[in-house]
Amino acid sequence: MSLQNFVDSLDNLLDEAKKSLDEVTSSEHLETLRVKFVGAKNGAIKAVQKLMGAIESEHRPAAGKRFNEVRDAIQSALDAASERLGGSTEKASNELLIDPTLPGIRPVLGHLHPITQTIEHLKDIMGRLGFNTTEGPEIEDTWHNFMALNIPEDHPARDPLDNFYLATASKQVHNPTDRDAMLLRSQTSTVQIRVMETQPLPLRIISLGRVYRPDAPDATHFPMFHQMEGLWVDTNVTMAQLKSVLRLFATSYLGSDVKVRFRPSFFPFTEPSVEVDYWWNDNWIEFGGAGMVDPNVFQALGIDSEKWSGFAFGLGVERLCMRRFGIVDIRDLYRSDVRFLRQFAT
Amino acid sequence: MLVSWEWLSDYVDIGISHEEMATRWALTGLNHESTAMMDGVPVIDLEITSNRGDCLGHIGIAREASVLLQSELRIPSPQLKPADELASKTLVIENQFADACPRYIGRLIRGVKIGPSPMWIQKRLLAIGVKPINNVVDATNYVMFECGQPLHAFDFANIRGGKIIVRPARDKENFIAIDHRTYQLDSQMVVIADAERAVALGGVMGGVESEVSDSTVDILLEAAEFMPLSVRRTARKLKLHSPSSYRYERRIDQANMDWASRRCCEIILETAGGELMSGSVDTGPRLPARTQILLRESKIASVLGIHVPWERSLAILVHLGCEVTGNTNDADARVVAPSYRADLTREIDLIEEIARIHGYEQIPEDAAVPLVSSTKRPKDIVMETVRRVVCASGFDETMTPSLVGKSSTSTISPWTDQDAMSTLIPLLEGASQLRRSLIPSLVSARLYNQSQTNRDSQLFETANIYMPRSSGLPGQQFNLGVIGLSDIRSVAGTFEEIVHRVCGPDFMQSKVTKSLVAWNYLAPKSGIVWQVEGETIAWVGQLNRSIVDSMKLDCSATVGEMNLDMLLEHARLVPQLQPIVPFPTVERDLNLIVDEATQWQSISSAIQKAAGPLCINVLFREIYRDTKKDGDGKKRVLLSMHLRSSTETLTSEQADTVMQSVLAACKAEFQATILQ
Repeated sequence: MSLQNFVDSLDNLLDEAKKSLDEVTSSEHLETLRVKFVGAKNGAIKAVQKLMGAIESEHRPAAGKRFNEVRDAIQSALDAASERLGGSTEKASNELLIDPTLPGIRPVLGHLHPITQTIEHLKDIMGRLGFNTTEGPEIEDTWHNFMALNIPEDHPARDPLDNFYLATASKQVHNPTDRDAMLLRSQTSTVQIRVMETQPLPLRIISLGRVYRPDAPDATHFPMFHQMEGLWVDTNVTMAQLKSVLRLFATSYLGSDVKVRFRPSFFPFTEPSVEVDYWWNDNWIEFGGAGMVDPNVFQALGIDSEKWSGFAFGLGVERLCMRRFGIVDIRDLYRSDVRFLRQFAT
Repeated sequence: MLVSWEWLSDYVDIGISHEEMATRWALTGLNHESTAMMDGVPVIDLEITSNRGDCLGHIGIAREASVLLQSELRIPSPQLKPADELASKTLVIENQFADACPRYIGRLIRGVKIGPSPMWIQKRLLAIGVKPINNVVDATNYVMFECGQPLHAFDFANIRGGKIIVRPARDKENFIAIDHRTYQLDSQMVVIADAERAVALGGVMGGVESEVSDSTVDILLEAAEFMPLSVRRTARKLKLHSPSSYRYERRIDQANMDWASRRCCEIILETAGGELMSGSVDTGPRLPARTQILLRESKIASVLGIHVPWERSLAILVHLGCEVTGNTNDADARVVAPSYRADLTREIDLIEEIARIHGYEQIPEDAAVPLVSSTKRPKDIVMETVRRVVCASGFDETMTPSLVGKSSTSTISPWTDQDAMSTLIPLLEGASQLRRSLIPSLVSARLYNQSQTNRDSQLFETANIYMPRSSGLPGQQFNLGVIGLSDIRSVAGTFEEIVHRVCGPDFMQSKVTKSLVAWNYLAPKSGIVWQVEGETIAWVGQLNRSIVDSMKLDCSATVGEMNLDMLLEHARLVPQLQPIVPFPTVERDLNLIVDEATQWQSISSAIQKAAGPLCINVLFREIYRDTKKDGDGKKRVLLSMHLRSSTETLTSEQADTVMQSVLAACKAEFQATILQ
């Protein structure tokens, strides 16, 4: 851009400003003009200033000088108009043109999913109790999902209609007795087995992740959900420690001292097996299942159950998450509705 | 299992309220579902776990109560006065399928008079939701709900040849059950047949042709054991579930079969008259051996973490029906479980029994938990960074199902050329494909928001994608997927920021190459990939027009994925300080006119190369076009360079020298015009 062009546009701007400011009759209109000419963001002065970059460097000092003159002249004209309309010169100064009551400009930040927040919370608490996080594959073989967990071939839990078996090219119809058959894991307990197969004892671990069961979706069921599985194997682990760890966990999670109740139950991979309830807000709340690792599970892994003992527990993450955030329909978690997702700002 | 409080009182005196009893049961293993009042009688619904088939009759429930309350259990003892004639003279039973039916007992009653049951039986059955039929059928149901053993009465006149054959069904054999529907059987199912045809589907349901009717005079009463797996398979396959099949699936007590048969005869004789023929026809007991279990006092404490008095432990087992040898001075005992407790085979099973009856409330919740350290996994550390950057870029996190249906987005598969794997049954309607990319799910998520008039949803998800492998478990790759608006640079910038933060600026500069890709699901010239040693770590592009149109997206979308497993491999978990250079940086701007086709990547690398080590940064500023001055097909690229020496303050002469070689390179390589 040549210097002449630049000077011309400055002059045009000054003419226009003087003309319109001479004619101004209301303070509202004056404010509009102020924004138009000297507005900090999109004012005309600002726009002209940007052009200066394109001026050859030898002409820049001249351009800058003229720019300053025009800017000051427009400001004076603004001040004069303001005074004419009854305001003092001082009032029209930049200071007063700031409106600090305008809403602040909030950054557009994303939100973490409530399940992620819950999982991080659980990992954090269990980490403080000495449990390391592990994970395992979501697609499992029947050995890890069933056999190693003491779920024999004739167990109803292995029924093809109660699991998501993979279709394979070679055999379209799945035979549940096939050791190599694969399925979407129906529980995170599979990770227990993988960890005990590979890691030295003693150990304290949790595993968290997606599990899959063919439940028709309704307010409390979804065919995909998350579990947290805990496992502690050492030389002298007792049921009293199981109860104590779960109470420490609940106290941490719920934020106040809570009581724990065991009810006898049945799971193939633990013996004794219990359902765990928490006394919270004057109610017994079902929390999940737990028990002492069944000797058959240890045996299948070649671990001496006379030397080692352990407990395992499993909790549904969705239930904890929904209770915490007041969510009443599990399907909302998986609909991707941003009006839902944006509510869990933390 | 519905339990009538009134019926229960036949077997045990319960001195506490039904509410209190229900709580006691719940805390010892029979979960209390609900209680309803039927004609003034409490009917309690208890959930029986699959290992406790012994509790699928009132006597079993009464036994639990008697153990808890330490009161006596009364089991009726059937009083029968049979005729002289032996049943075996009239009835022949042949077992050809002992694997599925280990034992079959038949008894014959002649001359019954079919009619309604007495009111007390009808009332008890109605209370637990069983419809009374007639005195004989009601008697079989009554005894089943009393002791858990299913029974079946045949009209003996319709048992041709007076012969019962237990055999495998023939393939495609048809059978009409008492529900008047025809079922097609297969050879793994067990049928009860007479000399000519099947008359019952073993353990599941009787046949219509031999059912007891008003004209029935002679009765054949079946008490049998069918194996759990066989019954479960049959019931599942035919979708034919009955209270009998439910009990067989949970294993019945073979030692109790004969009692149940005699008990049922007693009630039939009492309510329908007739004459019992002497004895029974029994294919013979095949009772599993009852093993002796060693129970150690020390083991109880080491499992439970509390001391249960040894006498108390042994008393609990005795009360539950176990035979205990050994005395309380010994540190261990030998225990044989009762036949109705097939679930008690090991020491640990006995310890569970002791624990639940002694009471789990006895176990403290303040036992010592030794302190050990735990460490965050590198993955958790990296994921925190990834989530922080993506959220700060304005994306909301979503979670979507791992299985997807077929749509025009199914072709999006940047990570594998192989077909998606699928499950035998869909996760949700139509969704049986294991996703190979997160993008189809994110497009669906965008569409859902569009349908809710939620504008401009920008979403991300971190989840696994799945890829077939020739052997072993399928491949599983942990991905970040995003769907943004039309601006490619903001998604690309988010990805670059992640790699920058997680792997460090050096890695980004020296190891990551960025190049164009032309994938048919992306708009032309919109796709880029970042690669590390030839392997793709991330990609970004705009969905092509045909996908946008066929999915009815209301605006174009930039999508992209990052392989987080790979990111993790190259993660630099703790940043290391680089010394701060104490010399000032000189900034020089450059305004080039180049051909439209010239891309930033080639410009910046040419400049970097020409400028040499003094240039520490080439910053893109702006592209604009002035066709009047420059003509068509040209664009102006504004950029800045940061020049700095790490050993001295740069003079303007040094900077000018650098700039001259840069200008020369730009002219030579891109025929660039340089604007002063």
